Amino acid sequence: MATIGHNNLNAKLVLLGDMGAGKSSLVLRFVKGQFLEFQESTIGAAFFSQTLAVNDATVKFEIWDTAGQERYHSLAPMYYRGAAAAIIVYDITSSDSFSRAKKWVQELQKQGNPNMVMALTGNKADLEDKRKVTAEEARVYAEENGLFFMETSAKSAANVNEVFYEIAKRLPRAQPAQSPAGMVLVDRPAEGSSAASCCS
Amino acid sequence: MYGTKGKIDLAFEYQSQASILRPSIHSRRANLTVKFQDLYGFTVEGNVDDVNVLNEVREKVRQQGRVWWALEANKGVNWYLHTTIGQGSALTSSLKFSALANAITLKKLIRKGIPPVLRPKVWFSLSGAAKKKSTVPDSYYDDLTKAVEGKVTPATRQIDHDLPRTFPGHAWLDTPEGHAALRRVLVAYSFRDSEVGYCQGLNYVAALLLLVMKTEEDAFWMLAVLLENVLVNDCYTNNLSGCHVEQRVFKDLLTKKCPRIATHLEALEFDVSLVTTEWFLCLFSKSLPSETTLRVWDVIFYEGAKVIFNVALAIFKMKEDQLIITHHVGEVINVLHTTTHHLFDPDDLLTVAFNQIGSMTTNTISKQRKKQEPEVMKELDQRIRRLNSLKVDDK
Repeated sequence: MATIGHNNLNAKLVLLGDMGAGKSSLVLRFVKGQFLEFQESTIGAAFFSQTLAVNDATVKFEIWDTAGQERYHSLAPMYYRGAAAAIIVYDITSSDSFSRAKKWVQELQKQGNPNMVMALTGNKADLEDKRKVTAEEARVYAEENGLFFMETSAKSAANVNEVFYEIAKRLPRAQPAQSPAGMVLVDRPAEGSSAASCCS
Repeated sequence: MYGTKGKIDLAFEYQSQASILRPSIHSRRANLTVKFQDLYGFTVEGNVDDVNVLNEVREKVRQQGRVWWALEANKGVNWYLHTTIGQGSALTSSLKFSALANAITLKKLIRKGIPPVLRPKVWFSLSGAAKKKSTVPDSYYDDLTKAVEGKVTPATRQIDHDLPRTFPGHAWLDTPEGHAALRRVLVAYSFRDSEVGYCQGLNYVAALLLLVMKTEEDAFWMLAVLLENVLVNDCYTNNLSGCHVEQRVFKDLLTKKCPRIATHLEALEFDVSLVTTEWFLCLFSKSLPSETTLRVWDVIFYEGAKVIFNVALAIFKMKEDQLIITHHVGEVINVLHTTTHHLFDPDDLLTVAFNQIGSMTTNTISKQRKKQEPEVMKELDQRIRRLNSLKVDDK
């Protein structure tokens, strides 16, 4: 049973973006607090989960971290189908990755859940001297398209948790718990987070 | 510095971790997680049981080696090459019989595993790589690598990006030599088949081929025969259509062979492709321990791509009891990940794959593929058109 005064939400979240933009690194930073200079390239997608407490609710994110290479995009609908939230990641040192991000936004706007909470994230903000995409340009684009925008650094951890918290805060407002689409009200205590694995 | 044909220095193969591999009773009690290097230089994290299993596997590999040596002594060094009956040739009936007997022996033997030392030789002959190589001049690989040196294409840029992200931390792959060797193989292949170019996932496959084959040239030919003859077409091209087809065939097979699991997962709205896509594209190299992966590849190279279905079904089948009591997606994935990562004994997996799934011939799989192809093409086409219409809207 759900604890009184508590909403336990399960929210499917998908990360999309160009290869090497840092999708897996953002997830690794958020879920495990770690950073690897060279993160194994993701094939298909990888799954993680992490629970956040926001105000009076607990949000359990079911995170799909997808492969970035263009030919893998044909698999993407499988991952964003039914998602309550999406983080579209680009690399601030690559204009191409920003163009790719815009394409993802378009695709989600047309194909995804209309109530989906979308975040645009300019990653690798620690590489200021190699910057190719200004924060201003991205912010304007995000505002025009109803996304919220943050620059992050998976390496330094800057703003990483903030992106997920912000999504968690926006979720209940975007989607009343009574009419969930891709968001499920759980009537039993949230299970222990991602670490709960056992081989019996 | 490092010749394209040179032998890879496999020093790591001999770095046996004897002290760690014999855990003391104390560590057993404490059920510590230990880190060690496996036969192919991968760092493995496991508990004490895993280590014991790996020790048993090493012993089994040694025994299996003795079986192969005995057969060589008995039937001649390259006996396994004489398993096909020549068409219309003047073979005497006794020779035909011995070829057939060899074929039966060989199939069984390969399912029990090719000893790591014999793997390069046996794979190269039986997969068809040797034949493929023999149709071009000897200098093909060297000429190709020289001709493409210094060229920059989208494929080479992506390859460069992925080199340090291919099994990072591996004792040899993650060194400048390892990166350079893997780069030459992948770049050469991207020019050989520009439709495939470079597809993420091939980095893991080629890396493992390098570790097994020991020379770049042989790894290159194994990659070629794998993509051009062993696997279905278009697994790695433009929109991965071949992979989409395989996923649909697999879902049907799961429903047929493991109905309880399929029904349960459907109720959870869990699409198995979420997990199995990676298995098919990396041929398990990212999920199973190295020796287990290579035991699967032993059979793939001899019996063909249908083996991927046997193995993928077996992973589900082995954990049927756990899978049908899962409550949500995360749990399902957890069960599957834990299972694959701890499958240190290849026989545990292969016994199920070949004895408990029921027969599946290449023929039936091919028919299934034919059936799914139009649907996949339609779906991919619709998606492209939707996306193109987005672009028009934008203008």
